[in-house]
Amino acid sequence: MIQVSHLSFSYTKRPFIQDMTFSVGAGEIFGFLGPSGAGKSTLQKILLGMLLGYQGSAMVNGRECKNHGADFYESIGVDFEYSTMYEKLTAKENLQFFSSLYRRQDRAIPELLAAVGLEHDADKQVSDYSKGMKSRLNFVKALLHDPKLLFLDEPTSGLDPTSSRLMKDLILAEKRRGKTILLTTHNMQDAAELCDRVAFIVGGTIYALDSPHNLTLSRGAAQVTYTWLDHGEQTASCPMDKISEDSLLHRLIAENRLQSIHSSEPTLNDIFMEITGRTLV
Amino acid sequence: MRFRHLLVWDMRFQARYGFYLLYGFLTALYLVVLASLPQSWREKAAAILIFSDPAAMGLFFMGAIVLLEKSQRVTSFFAVSPLSALEYVCSKVLSLSTIGVLVAAILAIAVGCPSLPSVLAGTFLSSVLFTLIGILVATRITSLNQFLLATVPVEMLVFLPAIAHLFGLTPSILGSYPANVCMDLIAGRSFSVNGLVLTGALLLLLMFAACRSVGKMWSSAGGVKL
Repeated sequence: MIQVSHLSFSYTKRPFIQDMTFSVGAGEIFGFLGPSGAGKSTLQKILLGMLLGYQGSAMVNGRECKNHGADFYESIGVDFEYSTMYEKLTAKENLQFFSSLYRRQDRAIPELLAAVGLEHDADKQVSDYSKGMKSRLNFVKALLHDPKLLFLDEPTSGLDPTSSRLMKDLILAEKRRGKTILLTTHNMQDAAELCDRVAFIVGGTIYALDSPHNLTLSRGAAQVTYTWLDHGEQTASCPMDKISEDSLLHRLIAENRLQSIHSSEPTLNDIFMEITGRTLV
Repeated sequence: MRFRHLLVWDMRFQARYGFYLLYGFLTALYLVVLASLPQSWREKAAAILIFSDPAAMGLFFMGAIVLLEKSQRVTSFFAVSPLSALEYVCSKVLSLSTIGVLVAAILAIAVGCPSLPSVLAGTFLSSVLFTLIGILVATRITSLNQFLLATVPVEMLVFLPAIAHLFGLTPSILGSYPANVCMDLIAGRSFSVNGLVLTGALLLLLMFAACRSVGKMWSSAGGVKL
């Protein structure tokens, strides 16, 4: 679906995107993770055919992005982090208008509104919607023409836990429909839950690219942390794969002195910090 | 098909935002003003009214429309939709010109103007001219105050020569000046054919510039943040 090869781009004389190579297969959810200014937006603009002065190759749906034709956007849907609606029109009118810009209008508006729980608010002006409702409406707007490829920018940003869960379920439902999804997020938990693969981007460079599971396994074994009482509560930990060598733990178990014991794997956030030396803020 | 839909929706937006209501009210007001003037003044007064308001409405309303679309970030979506800048510009020009031509027709009929086709053609050309200039200005600004300030030189370059021309206060060589050609047509007077060709060329140039400007606005940082 997407093939990027030796992609470089610069706004000034200093290189901004540097020699990126990756591909995204059909039906995959691929996450771009990185702090602000890392190059995620620039990369997405290139893939959306909006920045043309790049070197290397960026192919989307078999077409070089800088040479895209008029119907390039017929098979691409974009869900922005913010609302892109006419506030004075109703939700239904907005969807009718934006749908009319596409040749294909394969998804029925009432069904889309029902899928995000907005069927009873279809005739309400968008200015009267809450942030969560606007986010859901924005999301279904990207689906009107049933695109093969979806770009989602921070789809759960600012949502309450219930709305966030609903949004993630909607994203997974679109994946089951066969869509390829490019997700940009700061939220590592979302990325770990939704993405088949993620790319860590910092300073215009991809530092790591793999599935969240593989990244977690490949960096740092799970840790076992335990506590016991000895003039107050004491804590120690050891790697899971070295547990048989921890004589203190063995002694505490033999003496039944353990207060607590638990294992923990490094999170995607830990892995990101370890690999890139940066946080996602 | 897409252009037809866009045009219909643009007219619906304009109706929703009260453009038609406003111009219904203004037309009634202008009719009262014209009716209160002596008969000998009416044709020139109607020409000034048509040129300075219904024909020029695109200049001012494009500022409001583009600022509204920028503030509601609809422009971000246009940038990643199949909509082309040419379709966007043509739809805005035609939808606003339609209101201008309708109001001009009512005013011209009310004063008994003998050359209605000329009035309508002049109004249409003026409306296209003003709307394109409006787009060029609106795509470069971020506030209504900036827009009002930026339109002052346009008003001086377009309105003043055209009104002076209507009263015969300009040298004959300025008969080919596009604003004056439009005013001649609206006033139902003979016009310079060379001037009409020049006006057509200017409109093409402005159309090209407006499309480029819209494309830049859509893909600029203000237009798109992903």
